[in-house]
Amino acid sequence: MDLEILAFECETETDVVCTPPFVNELFETPDVFELFGVGVNRAMLLMFLAAFIVIAVLWVALRKRSVVPTKFGAAIEGLVTLVKDEIATGIIGPQGAKYAPYLISIFLFILVGNLMEVTPFINFPITSRMALPAFLAILTWVIFVFAGFKTQGLGYLGHIIWPKDVPIALRWLVGIIEFVSIFLVRPFSLAVRLFANLVAGHVMLTLLLVTGYVYVTGFSNATFNGVFGALWWVLALAIFLFEVVVSILQAYIFTLLSAVYIQTSVHPEH
Amino acid sequence: MTEIEITKGAIALIGYGLAAIGPGVGIGILAGNAVQAMARQPEAAGMVRTTMFLGIAFTEALALIGFVLFFLA
Repeated sequence: MDLEILAFECETETDVVCTPPFVNELFETPDVFELFGVGVNRAMLLMFLAAFIVIAVLWVALRKRSVVPTKFGAAIEGLVTLVKDEIATGIIGPQGAKYAPYLISIFLFILVGNLMEVTPFINFPITSRMALPAFLAILTWVIFVFAGFKTQGLGYLGHIIWPKDVPIALRWLVGIIEFVSIFLVRPFSLAVRLFANLVAGHVMLTLLLVTGYVYVTGFSNATFNGVFGALWWVLALAIFLFEVVVSILQAYIFTLLSAVYIQTSVHPEH
Repeated sequence: MTEIEITKGAIALIGYGLAAIGPGVGIGILAGNAVQAMARQPEAAGMVRTTMFLGIAFTEALALIGFVLFFLA
């Protein structure tokens, strides 16, 4: 549908340059249907689909505990063990096992959500709507603040706004900087990192594919346009593969940073 | 599109370009040093890689904020 609109905007008779209507068009998700007075849009449906996929994959892979797991079971087990050993206990330390379920959940959910960007017929990463990364970042924020207060009591806040190992004249300044960077910048950058990476990929893929489409179908009088369009699609294919890597890496980085943040509040500064 | 809108878009683009310089240099230095560390001490490669990704994630944030501001402008 978007393709039709974008191709329509090109004035092929008068001007060779296409003007896409508005970049905001990529950020609008119209409601598909309404349920109990709440509009349900595509992003919400895909979010439920992602959650369902994660649950289904884990259930199918790990429902039977046998000595020799199936190939699929072994693969998923490897993924879960990676998060549990490398990220949870590897970074947080022995107490990390407690946070492993949360880290595994967000890792798999973000991974599935990100990979929707490169899934044919979906082509829409749910993490490219700010609501989802923001919510996940707030979840991580709540968990690491709570973990800090639980392990260090009020000393957690005291450590941050009145650091003992800094010269006394600078303590208030370092305290303010630390406070802002821990409680405000951390969740913001966590959310924006995931969001912006996925939006960039989504916009890039849309631009390349639409440009190819417009070249192939839009102009009638030129001969080489088909070749140009095909070249755009080749480039889009390369970016596609790149986006697969980005999707996996961003899910990993989000989980890794969550673990690092929890670690800094579980272990006081040495 | 009016003249002002086009100019605004162009300035926002320049702003994004400026925002990308620092992180570009930073990620280059970071990845280069990580490769050097891995080459010197291959047994520490796993640890270096994790730390490298962390560093890249922190460095990259500036460019990404610039990218978001480009859309906001």
